[in-house]
Amino acid sequence: MSTSSDEPAMGAKKVEGAGEPIPPGKPMTMEQHIVDKGAMMLQRLKPMKQISQHGCSFAIYSHDMTRQIETHHYCTRINQDFLQCAVYDSDGSHGRLIGVEYIVSDKTFEALPPDEQKLWHSHAYEIKSGLWVNPRVPEVVVKPELENLAKSYGKFWCTWQLDRGDRLPIGTPALMVSPQGVNMGVPSPELVRTRDLKYNILTEAIRDSRVEIAEPEWLNPMADYWKQHGKGFKIDVEPVDMKLRAPFP
Amino acid sequence: MSQHPEVPGDPTATTTSLLEKATASIQRFGPISHIHQHLCAFHFYSHDMTRQVEAHHFCGHLNEEVRQCLIYNSPEPDARLIGIEYIVTETLFDMLPDEEKPMWHSHDYEVKGGYLFMPGIPGPVERQDMEKVAKTYGKTIHFWQVDRGDNLPLGIPQIMFALTREGQLYDELAQDVERRYKVSFAAEKEKRKDIEGPEMGRHPLANGAGKGLQTVLKEVDVKPPSGTTPRVFV
Repeated sequence: MSTSSDEPAMGAKKVEGAGEPIPPGKPMTMEQHIVDKGAMMLQRLKPMKQISQHGCSFAIYSHDMTRQIETHHYCTRINQDFLQCAVYDSDGSHGRLIGVEYIVSDKTFEALPPDEQKLWHSHAYEIKSGLWVNPRVPEVVVKPELENLAKSYGKFWCTWQLDRGDRLPIGTPALMVSPQGVNMGVPSPELVRTRDLKYNILTEAIRDSRVEIAEPEWLNPMADYWKQHGKGFKIDVEPVDMKLRAPFP
Repeated sequence: MSQHPEVPGDPTATTTSLLEKATASIQRFGPISHIHQHLCAFHFYSHDMTRQVEAHHFCGHLNEEVRQCLIYNSPEPDARLIGIEYIVTETLFDMLPDEEKPMWHSHDYEVKGGYLFMPGIPGPVERQDMEKVAKTYGKTIHFWQVDRGDNLPLGIPQIMFALTREGQLYDELAQDVERRYKVSFAAEKEKRKDIEGPEMGRHPLANGAGKGLQTVLKEVDVKPPSGTTPRVFV
């Protein structure tokens, strides 16, 4: 059945210049606007109010490292060792939800079983190189957070492969890896420049300003599996007999 | 088992929480500010109906026909982000490639059965939206199996389905939600009798085409740029 490495779906050739809106669909009706506004006023949406930072960075498909994307993380801290992030393709109000990333401290990561660790990536390079930025927040303010993040590990599942032109979320979730300073981990200069222009920043200058952020003393080699093994991961879906409680469907 | 396992780790340090108050006040959370709806329902694993999860959807519309939702295990401030759901109209669902359709589930029974609801929303307003949702299809992926007590998001993503008929949902789970949200599924069911599902009826390829679905992790060669095979990765 479907896999995360399928060809572009629904006849889309590419994202830019295709002329078709992504996703397809009719514009919002006034009726729906009213329902939504009413709901927003009456419902408390508490988990949304806990989201405390926006990070912009880049990610690479584990099963096809020629494909790199810009990411916008909106993160909630559950405790000092754990962040949960909703990931979007842009920071606009119509940003498309493309996945979820969980971020854990080195302490939590070291306690994971090895089979689990191979699904996670390190963040040291992404922080030190200036690729991860918190838009509009002065570097000096965010520095303690960057020091934490430099020692952290992430697990990022992408559920909407917009870069291959998918007009709707198609296929199985794709595991993502983080940018690294070597080989296929290096993000394309064009991708970085586009981001830099948007926020009027210079990634190289940010990198220089982060020289004092300590490199982790050790990066667990089970993370960033591709660097050691030249292998990535993909998810397949197989039809099976469902364990039932009543007939289905 | 509790569906709200304690995440291991130290309490958030004061410096960290102050810093995050600062970033939250400086930054704009564009796509998050667009989330304006809380829906509560149940999901079960697409390979195992006996594992059922209370799912709190926080949704935003990308247009009239597409919603994208963050799924949490509770509506409280310390809720765990456990998954994602995309909801599309029947028209868009029909455009999906056939091999994609089994990963999507129908919403008609969840609505008609009274199980899908909007906490805190008056009946008539809720009803307006329920009439629409009943005709849609959803694709739900969970990343965190809180129902088996995982205190961290372990393993690979799971495709989730929704209720499609009587007798699937556990009474204890149903009653617990009814009590906490002061709703009655039976009463709602009665009120929603006349709500209609998809125009063309439930698509036979939706809901796993009638089968269970199981996700499997595969190791693959990293695809090198322009056909070269790098020998050294570090």
